[in-house]
Amino acid sequence: MKRKIRIAIPSKGRLSKPSIQVLQEAGVNILKKERTYVSETSDSRFDAVFARAFDVPIYIQYGAADLGITGHDVILERGSDIHELLDLGFGKCQLVVAVPENSGIRSVNDIPTVARVATEYPNLCQKYFESIGKQVEILVVRGTAELAPKLGLAQTIVDITETGKTLRKNKLNVIATILDSSCRLACNRIAYRVFESEISELLGKMKRGGN
Amino acid sequence: MFIRLQTPRGTKDYLPPEVERHRYVEQKLREVFQLWGYQEIRSPAIELVEVLSTGVGSDLVDSMFKFQDFDGKIVALRAEMTAPVARIVTTKMLEAPKPIRLFYISNVFRYSQSYLEREREFWQAGVELIGCNTPAADGEVLSLLASFLKKLGLEEVRIDVGHAGLLKDLLRAAGLDKKKKGVLQGLLRYRDEDRLEKFMDQNSFSSELNEAFLRLSRCRRLEELSSVSLESSTYGKTDNYLRALLEVRDALVDYGVENLVFFDFSLVRNIEYYTGIVFEASVPNLGLPLGGGGRYDNLMEKFGKLKIPATGFAVEIEKCLQALASQGFQPLDKRKVKVLVASRFRDSAIKAVEAIRSTGITALLDVTKGGRNEVLEYAKRGGMNHVIFVDFSLEKPAAIYDIQLDTVKNMTINAFLQSMGDDRK
Repeated sequence: MKRKIRIAIPSKGRLSKPSIQVLQEAGVNILKKERTYVSETSDSRFDAVFARAFDVPIYIQYGAADLGITGHDVILERGSDIHELLDLGFGKCQLVVAVPENSGIRSVNDIPTVARVATEYPNLCQKYFESIGKQVEILVVRGTAELAPKLGLAQTIVDITETGKTLRKNKLNVIATILDSSCRLACNRIAYRVFESEISELLGKMKRGGN
Repeated sequence: MFIRLQTPRGTKDYLPPEVERHRYVEQKLREVFQLWGYQEIRSPAIELVEVLSTGVGSDLVDSMFKFQDFDGKIVALRAEMTAPVARIVTTKMLEAPKPIRLFYISNVFRYSQSYLEREREFWQAGVELIGCNTPAADGEVLSLLASFLKKLGLEEVRIDVGHAGLLKDLLRAAGLDKKKKGVLQGLLRYRDEDRLEKFMDQNSFSSELNEAFLRLSRCRRLEELSSVSLESSTYGKTDNYLRALLEVRDALVDYGVENLVFFDFSLVRNIEYYTGIVFEASVPNLGLPLGGGGRYDNLMEKFGKLKIPATGFAVEIEKCLQALASQGFQPLDKRKVKVLVASRFRDSAIKAVEAIRSTGITALLDVTKGGRNEVLEYAKRGGMNHVIFVDFSLEKPAAIYDIQLDTVKNMTINAFLQSMGDDRK
């Protein structure tokens, strides 16, 4: 008998609710969510597991989850070798370079050599600055990169923005966009072969539900 | 000075239980490989970087640990075993009758900057079948892989097969730049027909090529390839490749393993030297492949100017163990009996351990000056089954403790061995 297929879903944050909803529209209702890591769903072939959005790619790559929902930005940052099966359309955001409005910096070319950059995305940040031939010192922070310029930790930040509101509130200007991202349904390479019929069926429903 | 006593990142110590687990896999490997007539080979862990880099592609070369030798030459730790085997075959085994069947169990080293990546030193076991390019040769290597994984105790093993030449020639026929080629390969992997068709429309694929991509990406079993015909095509040798795949499938039927084997048009290995069929083995509960391989008919030529076709595979021992664990299989042999012998009379204790060992039971001699309680305590913590306190002569009854049952009996060594023999029957 085949085992159950595990779908990893962000446990909290902006991607959590829409992820649960998109599954629901595809006929997979999560039955109990409170304080559990693994939940049964209304479709007996699927279980849901809850993990941090940032960890979902690892769960998928190592097969701890067969499928998962998380941001394109996070998948790239993690450098995961997983299949991005579907752009779910929600969770649209951009990974941007931002500096304080009063810094006098208007473009990435104005960033001084070996500037400090605070970010939650060290790998994408590194790749970006290497691609434009700029040496920077990357400081990895968790959560609130926008505080870094205020407190003098780093003048430049690389962070995710949806509407630009938080950046404006913190008097930060976007000077470059590294990446456009949105939420994806991703899949383990081997699970996609083993459970192809079940996963394609779900994928088909999600495609119809999403558009 | 503060000394850091851990091993470098991505390396690890193997304590006795881990070595024992490893040995379980290794023994099965040796057993099966030798039964199929493969001979073991060893090569140095360090080689000249040119040798290791030949034919493997820049990704693997980038991941090698390289350093300078005293004479200024650049050497590297081996990152895989096929290039060393190719060097050996083309320099030292040219006279050997072909096909040559070789196997190895070796540690290999890969440096990785990504924090997702795995071990930097890991153990690979593999075979190479050199000097033959028949479907039977490909079939042999595939069925050997299947046979070994089943012998290990793994269930629901599957092997996905692709073809390096077929994919390469069709991608070339599409005439795409590097970036678009990457996109197309992604779409093939995702098996997303809608997006694939859209992509092919946008990049004005000919209707024949369009059809070829769609049909091939729909095939899940090798036999389904018989419905795909590229006969009139101008896409390199694709038609030969399709025929080769179908012939391999026929060989697999004869070996009786065709049910384990699937077709995946998008399958690629991250090493460049493959020219023919390529494959990956996996089990459903482990999200990473156990290993894989394929045919490499042009690699030997790069070493020795002689065209020698070859095929082979490698599996990772750790992955095999993880796969076994994911299926609830415990390879440790817990039934192995260990006996500790102690005595005030060293000569009779030595005679006793020798007598016990001669029956195939593990016997340890107490070499401490400890008293009876200390010896018993050591035996308990050291996982012994029995402790025997022998007298000055083996003819005299000895005190024999059963550590698990917490009992003691008086009997001679011979009587004890007799009872052990009876137990095992």
